[in-house]
Order: sequence, then structure tokens, then C-alpha cells
Amino acid sequence: MSGGRLDTSARLRTLRGPNNEGILAVVLLALIVAMSVANPVFFTLPTAFSILRSSIVPLIFALGVLTVIISGGIDVSFAAIAVFAAYTTVRALETGMPDFGLVGAFVVALLIGASLGAVNGFLIAKFRLPTLIVTLGTQGIFKGVLLTYVGSRYIADLPESMAQISTTNLFEVETSSGSAYLHVLVVPAVLLALGLAWVLRSTMFGRSVYAIGGDAEAARRAGIRVFRTQLSVYVIAGTMAAVGGMIYVIMGRSASPQILVGSELDIIAAVVLGGASIFGGRGSVLGTTLGVLLVQVIYNSLILAGVPSAWQRTAVGVLLLVGVGIQAVASRRAAPASILEEAPQKQEVAA
Amino acid sequence: MKPVNSEAGPLNRLNESVESAWTRIQGKVNLQGGVKRMLVLLVVAFVIFAALKPSVFLSGTNLRNIALNSPEIGVIAIAMMLAMLTGGIDLSLVAMANLAAITMSTIYTAVAAGNPALAEQTFPLIVLAGIAVGVAGGFVNGLLISVVGITPILATLGTMQVFNGIAVAWTGGKTLNGTPAVLSAIGASTLGGIPTLFFVFVLLAIAIGVVINRTPLGLRIQLQGANPTAARYSGIASRKTLMSTYVITGLLSGFAGVFFIARNPTASADYGASYVLLVIVIAVLGGTNPNGGFATVLGVVLATLTLQIVSSGFTALRLSSYQYAIAQGLILVAAMAFEHVRWRRRRRLTKPAVQPS
Repeated sequence: MSGGRLDTSARLRTLRGPNNEGILAVVLLALIVAMSVANPVFFTLPTAFSILRSSIVPLIFALGVLTVIISGGIDVSFAAIAVFAAYTTVRALETGMPDFGLVGAFVVALLIGASLGAVNGFLIAKFRLPTLIVTLGTQGIFKGVLLTYVGSRYIADLPESMAQISTTNLFEVETSSGSAYLHVLVVPAVLLALGLAWVLRSTMFGRSVYAIGGDAEAARRAGIRVFRTQLSVYVIAGTMAAVGGMIYVIMGRSASPQILVGSELDIIAAVVLGGASIFGGRGSVLGTTLGVLLVQVIYNSLILAGVPSAWQRTAVGVLLLVGVGIQAVASRRAAPASILEEAPQKQEVAA
Repeated sequence: MKPVNSEAGPLNRLNESVESAWTRIQGKVNLQGGVKRMLVLLVVAFVIFAALKPSVFLSGTNLRNIALNSPEIGVIAIAMMLAMLTGGIDLSLVAMANLAAITMSTIYTAVAAGNPALAEQTFPLIVLAGIAVGVAGGFVNGLLISVVGITPILATLGTMQVFNGIAVAWTGGKTLNGTPAVLSAIGASTLGGIPTLFFVFVLLAIAIGVVINRTPLGLRIQLQGANPTAARYSGIASRKTLMSTYVITGLLSGFAGVFFIARNPTASADYGASYVLLVIVIAVLGGTNPNGGFATVLGVVLATLTLQIVSSGFTALRLSSYQYAIAQGLILVAAMAFEHVRWRRRRRLTKPAVQPS
């Protein structure tokens, strides 16, 4: 009997996952079921595909942010990097840079993203500065440089190579409620997620990122090259941001330096809801993916429920507060005995 | 062995007391050094822009504009400094200030629709209502941070969105129009050529300076930021301290909201969107340690004026607001890198002093 019970509790713990991914999955499922009962329109293939489509860009951003958060930092400049990389690439192609096709465009954008990420990484790793404040500062610099020196014009038509893929679908399904299209750019998002999951879980670099996030000093003494790892983390975040920016521009079929403003919170909220700890050392690709889907499903539900779009920001804010609030209370209840653990929280700007 | 020890004892003690006195003096000099550095920067910025474009920059209108723009930004920067002093951060300040401004404008418009004279008479109540909204917002932040235990950065990131969302939904994204005439009159008035609002700002800054340096609460706030563990072991109720801090930052946001509509009879949800970065720049430039424990109100006030000088200097030179954003970012990163290098050098210099005797 007791053996059986132990077995169930162990199995439950496995299902729950190291970062509460299981709980998140249950919440997501419950929300989908509730929405489907309340509004049958919700439970259709077109809705599912459109949610997937709208999750592509947030997921790619979230992967970059996840890497930074696991390493113990926070990045609010990724949206600025994304716009910078994508807009500069489109602008360069438009003003006579030879068009090497889609791959060429992506290579240019990724190089830009990686260099801007390297700026962040260098400042943070070299001077050991608070990451929030550094990325706030570089965000201003990147935006300012883009608008002052690259251009501020709205570009209505993309270069041929990029425009082509924007209407390509992976497959389409005829259903009773109309045909459903799954956009082809879901593929790179899924590949990037799988790739990052493998890197974080099974490579020396991935484990170093977790180690630095857990305790940078301990990692240093254990022989991990903190400077190099931290720099790489921000280069990865910058590259991911560039991919996200390019895909956003391709799917929107236009480029403007004013896009993606204010999308930072949604992404950070999704990553934190996905179980990543803002103090570093914890987080998973699976959790982040679930977090991104949860935010997108909630957006979609709000629209179907007829809630004015003005309340969407409030909804994400409340969702973030409830999510982290529950985590904070739960972690305090888990260790109530010691005086030290009773501390309300680590009082640091996550550095 | 024994005699050597007994002789070394008093000598060591003497050494220690000299050492501690020396560090204390050093601390004082450094504090003044930080403020002095800010003063130098202020003068340098002023001289550079005055030399580059004297006709525009030194005009009375421009100087008055600097004094008129400073209060609202300065008050929010002081609030940011307070949050950073406890080792936290408050990203919701501007959203709270806008919500306060919107509340005041809405109440005034509603009352004035029925009875314009009554709306003018009740203007102190309207201002109080606005400040109360700020305090309520600060209370929510305090609750989330001290009672629920959410990290300040996430808690205020969330409440920023919530407050902003409420403001957008409330106004429908439109700009509200309407301020008590008395408030507008105060906003436009000057005392001896200097805007009245600037004096209000200086008074608020002095009040916060007194709270930080001369009251038990101020001491608790500083200790909480300098070393939370030590603060707890010395019997400081960190929850109460954090709660008070965020209520004060909310109060200051309420004042900022009053400044908003006193200067401009309009209120909207997205006013001052660029202020979030700006006030962090100001707080850090003014010598605030973002990890907590160290800050001076005077430094922040001087940093506010310096950035306003840079801003109006950029306008005088016909540079765009985007270029000003670049300058802000560069100043922020440079100030922090400089502070870090200086701190590391100081630590290296004082290292022999902490060797065990």
C-alpha cells in the first residue's frame, strides 16, 4: 500500500516537472477546455493554427530571453535589437545591396543581431553591471541609432526574396469552418526550440549557463569561464532577436522602425510564467514554450470573449503578478523554518 | 611571546581605531566627492551648450524651460532613487503618475460639467485625490513586494502594465483635457523669475532628504539596501520598511501627476513613456547604487538638472529626440562603468587594511 502511494507521489513529481511545467500544462489545458465550452468557435483548427502562427515570433524572442534569464540576467533590449537587425537588412537590400536570396538576408540580419548582443554581453561581463540597467541603456542607444542613422521610413514592400516566403504555408486543411493554414515559418521556431533545449541540457556551454545563473562566483571557482559564457549568452540572445525580427517583418510584409514597441513585457512574462527563475539557474525550453502558448491563448480568448483590447495589457500584467505571486508564496511555504529563508525575497536588481 | 602580544594588543587597537576613523572620513569625502563630481558635470554641460549656441541656450525662455521641466522628472527620479536605495526598483512610477493625472482631470471635468465654480473651489480636494491614487498604487506595489514576496522588478513590471492598462481603458486611448484653473495658474507662475513648481520640487527633495538622513525610517531604508541579512538580524522589520518605501515612491508619483497637469492641462495614458529610462539614468548618474544602500538626494537633483541641460542643449543644437535617447543610453552605461572601475580600484587600495593582524 505505502509502496504504491510512494510510487504515485514520485510519478506525480515527475509529471510536475522540475520547473512546474506540468502545472502550467494543466492550466493551459483547463483554459482551452473552458474556452471551448464557453465558445465553440474557439475549438477549431483555424483557431489553433492562428494561435500557433501568432506564437512563432514570441517563442523565438522568449528562447533568447530564457537563455539570458537562466544565466542570471534580464534582457529588455531584444525588441530593439530585433527591429534594428530586420529593418537595417531590408533597408540595405532596398538601397542596392546585392540580393543573395532569403539565406543572404538572414545572414546579414543575424550578424547584426549577434554584434548588438555582443555589445550587451561585453558591457555586462566586463564591468559586471546590473543587466536590467545596461540593456535599458543599450535599448535606447540601438533605437536612437536606428532612427537617426539608418532610417525612420515605413517600407511597404519587401525585397522579392523575403516577400515570397510570407505567403507560403506548410500545409492547409479544409474544415467545415473554412480552410486552416499552418504557416511555414513554424518550422524554424520549432527547430530553434529543439536546438536550444539540446544545447542547454546536453552541452558544456548549456550547463555553464545554468551554473553561472546559480552562483557566478562558485562557477568561476569551479573553472567555468564566466566572461566567455556570459558574452556568448548575450550573443545568442541577440541572434535569436534578429531571427524573430526577420520573421516578424516577413509575416507582416512590411518593415518599420516603430514595430515591436512594448512587446518586451509579454515575452518576459511568458518566460517567467514558464518557471524560469528571475535570479537565474532555473528554467526550461518546455516551460517557456508552454508560457508563450498560455499568453497567446489568453489573448485569443480575450478577443473572442469581446474584451476591449485596451484591457489586454492589464490582463498580462495581472497574469504575471498572479504567476510570480503563487511561485513566491509557494517557495516561502516550502522553507518556513529558518530566519534567513523568511526573507521576503532577494533584494537585488537581478544582476 | 607573551610580552609581544600584550604590547601588540593596544597598538592593534589603536591601529584599528585610526583605521575606522580613516574609513569614516574617506566615506564622507567620497560622498561629497560624488556630489562634487555631479556639480562639475553640471557646470561642464552648461558651459559646453552655452558656448555652442549662446543665442538660444542662454535665452530666458530656455532657462525657464529647464526649471519648468525638471520638477516632474526630478520627483520621479527621487522616487526611483528611494526604491533603488532598498535594493529594488520601481518601473511603475510613470504609469502611476499618469493614472493620478487622469484621475484629477476626470474628477475636475465631471464636477465642472455640473458646476464650474464648485470645481474650482474643490481643487485642493482634487489634488488630494490624485495624490491618493499614487499612494494607493504604491501600496499595491508594497503589498506585492513585502507581503507576497515578489521581486521588485517583476512586481513593478506587472503593476506598470496593470496601471497603464487601466489608464488606456479608462481614457479610451484619448487625451483628456481639463485642469483646475488655479493649478494651471500655479504651473505658469514664477517667483523671482523661477517657476513656482521648481520651488515645490526643491521642498519635496529636502523633505525626502530629511526622511533618509534624519529619521529612523531613513536609516532602516539604507540598512535594508546595504545588507538585507544584517538588517534582519539587527531587528529591522524589513516588510514594514519595504512597504513604507513603496508607499513613499507612490506618493511622489502622485506629486509627479500633479506636476503633469499643472504644466499642461492634459492627461493621457502614454505621457512620458521615455521617462522610465530617463529617471533610471538620472538616479544612477546621481550616484545611486542600483544594488542598494547608497544614494544622495542632492546628487539626484543635480543629475536631473544636468540631464535637462543636455536635453535643452540638444534641442538648441537642433538634434533629434532620438539622438537624445542615444546620449541617455551612453551616459547611463558610461556612468555605471566608471563607478564600477572606481569601486574596484578603491577595493584594491584598501585591501591590505582588512588583512588579519
